Amino acid sequence: MNVSLKDNSPPDSVPLVEMRGITKRFGGAVALNDVSLEARAGEVLAIVGDNGAGKSTLIKILTGVLRPSAGQIKIAGQEVAINGRDDALQLGIDAVYQTLAIAGDLTPAANIFFGNELTKSFLGIPFLDNARMKSEATRVLFERFGTRLPDMDAPTESLSGGQKQAVAIARAIYHGDLRVLVMDEPTAALGPQETARTLKLICNLRDQGLAVLLISHSLDDVFEVADRIQVMRRGRKVGTIKVSETTHEEVLGMIVGSHEKKEVA
Amino acid sequence: MDSTTNIEVPARQSFMERISPYVSIFGPLLMIAMLMTFMLFVEPARFFRLSNFEIVLMEAAMFMPMAVGMTFVIAQRGIDLSIGSIAALSALIMAFMIKQYGFSPYVGIMIAITVGATLGAINGIVVTKLNVPDLIGTMAMDLIYRGIALVLAKGLVLAKFPDIIKVIGRGRIEGFLPVPVLIGIATIVAGYFVLTRTFFGRYALGIGSDPEAAEMAGIAVHRQRVYAYSLMGALAGLGGVMLAGKLNSIQATSASFLNLHVIAAVVVGGTSLFGGRASMLGAFCGVILLAMITNATIILRIEFFWQSVAAGIVIVVSVAAYSWLLSKDKDVSGNLWAKICSRQNLSILKFLGGLIAALVALFILGAVLPGPVTT
Repeated sequence: MNVSLKDNSPPDSVPLVEMRGITKRFGGAVALNDVSLEARAGEVLAIVGDNGAGKSTLIKILTGVLRPSAGQIKIAGQEVAINGRDDALQLGIDAVYQTLAIAGDLTPAANIFFGNELTKSFLGIPFLDNARMKSEATRVLFERFGTRLPDMDAPTESLSGGQKQAVAIARAIYHGDLRVLVMDEPTAALGPQETARTLKLICNLRDQGLAVLLISHSLDDVFEVADRIQVMRRGRKVGTIKVSETTHEEVLGMIVGSHEKKEVA
Repeated sequence: MDSTTNIEVPARQSFMERISPYVSIFGPLLMIAMLMTFMLFVEPARFFRLSNFEIVLMEAAMFMPMAVGMTFVIAQRGIDLSIGSIAALSALIMAFMIKQYGFSPYVGIMIAITVGATLGAINGIVVTKLNVPDLIGTMAMDLIYRGIALVLAKGLVLAKFPDIIKVIGRGRIEGFLPVPVLIGIATIVAGYFVLTRTFFGRYALGIGSDPEAAEMAGIAVHRQRVYAYSLMGALAGLGGVMLAGKLNSIQATSASFLNLHVIAAVVVGGTSLFGGRASMLGAFCGVILLAMITNATIILRIEFFWQSVAAGIVIVVSVAAYSWLLSKDKDVSGNLWAKICSRQNLSILKFLGGLIAALVALFILGAVLPGPVTT
């Protein structure tokens, strides 16, 4: 696997991702109101909340899909402007979306390297190295996900849900300088076995020093892998708590708004 | 994701799955075979001659570059209905530069291709940046380009071009192949490599497959789409040069039946109108098929306009066939008849039957009732 952290990783005291005062308005509607977020390298931060709490909007701002109406973002202590997907990718931030965002007609290998293709030079012109992409994709899928696809030349849309998701995650983590991985409902469409495998993979990525942001409706999953939980409600941040110091009931209370604001972590 | 179950899958791969990569050329090849069989019974002497096959290739040659361009445009889920006008306008501007201003024909050819690329880029900008749906946008641009050509030419026919243009349009390397055929095949081969081996080709397919996924992957979707339309325009410009050379003349109304002909050739070759799937070899076979149909209509002395009927039928049949081939539910065992006789289909059938009955009744009524006295 090519996940190599940049050597100038900041000391643990500086959060890898720091979002401050993020506000997002869609016309008159306020989707996010003065929300902050901190995630450190080597931790899993879960973001939970009811539908419409603003989780996805917050994540889309971090990954460059949306631009904030106000607020600032710091990566490794440096203020950055994320104006598009390519800016986010440049900063080492990638995401696996709920919809997977896969080009169904392309092969799994083409999807894993989509936008980041391997090339070989011929007469000084870079051409796609389809053979190497295929062998690398086969290797990554087997080593990381234990998956051997029956036909690497078949279109990705012919794969099963779990296989497709493996392709989507493989694309994100193959990215050489990946530092922050956002996963939006990664287990929503999976069976129990595939869910367990995905959660284990999340832990592996954390242990490699990535900051993983996990959006999930499943509190069981969250309590299994997350280090901290950020709860959101109606476009605001309710609070952030350590998993080791809380219970399902408390988090649920914060989600529906019956619990007092609590800021621990 | 269990690896053991996955390994077993190849054994269960169905016949359809194994042939699916080749379906794109099966379609046109089958139709070519059918057409040849038909001609074998109807007019074998004049159809099956080496010189006639060369005529077919000559007819096909001009469409090859444009089919390559159209393959990229359709692959990224677009369509371009302005290429006939782009070809005519580019060739017309080239002709004016050469005939009226004494430009070198080589510069003139480069101008035609660059004009085509520019007009194509404008199409791309209209479709992406102005958000005009491609069908409407390129059709409107077609009106604009054709109108400009008509204004420029003022009804003139520009004829008698320098040798190099005639060589491009109808030259021949003795003992080998006509020059336009070589140019056409060269663009197909180049198109194949660009489609399968370059970022541009990969992104065209990816964008066509899922524009949002492409955006998420950090791909500059609008830029890639503008490039595709621009390549289409440049190749239409080349097609215009070939047309001008072939006829040794050009006028504002040239190449007006070209759009659907090229689209038909590309689509019959297995390039999906819904984007994401494309086949250069299929486009080549499609062009040959369409040229053969044209050739057959000429040999059988069928009226020229039947060609547009043929092109239309080819489009509908091939798109319908591919939609069916790619559909998930292809279960034809037994309940096909039940499926056809669904309640919805029966009402559609009744509706259509009613319309036809009404039409027949009107004709009968018209024949029976006395009309106004015209004598």
